[in-house]
Amino acid sequence: MPDIFIAEPTEGIAVAPNESAPLVDDEGIQSPQNPVHLFSAFKKDPDGINFQDKEDDEKIILFIRRSFITNVKWIFFGSLLLVTPLFLPLILRFFPNPLPFLPNKSYFFFVAFYYLIIATYWYINFISWYFNISLVTDKRVIDIDFSNLVYKDVAATKINLVQDVSFAQIGAIRTFFDYGDVLVQTAGTLDNFTFESAPQPENIVHITEDLIGKRNELFG
Amino acid sequence: MNFLDKILPFIQFGFLTKIGFLAVDLFFVLFLVVAVRQVYAMNSIISGSGNPFIIKLAVFVLLFVAVSLFLTALVIL
Repeated sequence: MPDIFIAEPTEGIAVAPNESAPLVDDEGIQSPQNPVHLFSAFKKDPDGINFQDKEDDEKIILFIRRSFITNVKWIFFGSLLLVTPLFLPLILRFFPNPLPFLPNKSYFFFVAFYYLIIATYWYINFISWYFNISLVTDKRVIDIDFSNLVYKDVAATKINLVQDVSFAQIGAIRTFFDYGDVLVQTAGTLDNFTFESAPQPENIVHITEDLIGKRNELFG
Repeated sequence: MNFLDKILPFIQFGFLTKIGFLAVDLFFVLFLVVAVRQVYAMNSIISGSGNPFIIKLAVFVLLFVAVSLFLTALVIL
């Protein structure tokens, strides 16, 4: 049977790399295949994460931040503050010179400072979300709390001390956007962990329960 | 002419505005320095959880703007 179409040789044409093969850059450093991005709130088996006191053979199973939808409040409030000066001409129509004691040239500085405060407000809220991380590894559960620059708390417990994992998803918004609070109960007088507003709480509970089950099977 | 009469011309709203603005801006710069320190401290606790370059760049941009505003106000106001 005659050939209808014969593909031309593909010399010099780049072939797509195998997805399962590790990506290696020019310097020979292996880049992560499943990296955590700037806005990632939930990642299973993430690559490239390192934390203090991480053991060499320790594998991170879950990476959890608060659901990104919880940031809507401060984004909206910041946006409102951002557009407020646009209504200033309207106010000045009724009050031509509201601050008569201020020299005219100082208005620029006050407006610039106002926008700087809004930008900082956004930044502080963002890093409060960004650095509020919970990790579940094959050996430990780690909870890093960080809020408003002044509060920083890092807590960890061994996975074999975890007794029960449960979640609460109360309210229509939480159900719609699939996020809720995950409670990790530890043995004895040790502190319990709460992953607040965690995305896919049911998934987190299942994965952690599997992990506890495996540990119990291995170590009785 | 006593001391109060000498300094009275300087103590006016424009002058006080400048001093007030500079003081507030200076505190703001200090606040941002604390933010820089905290960002570096948190990055040493956990790394690879996003894009640390953007996070650091953003805080340095804020710090640069705050310092620029302080210096400009010092000269112009």
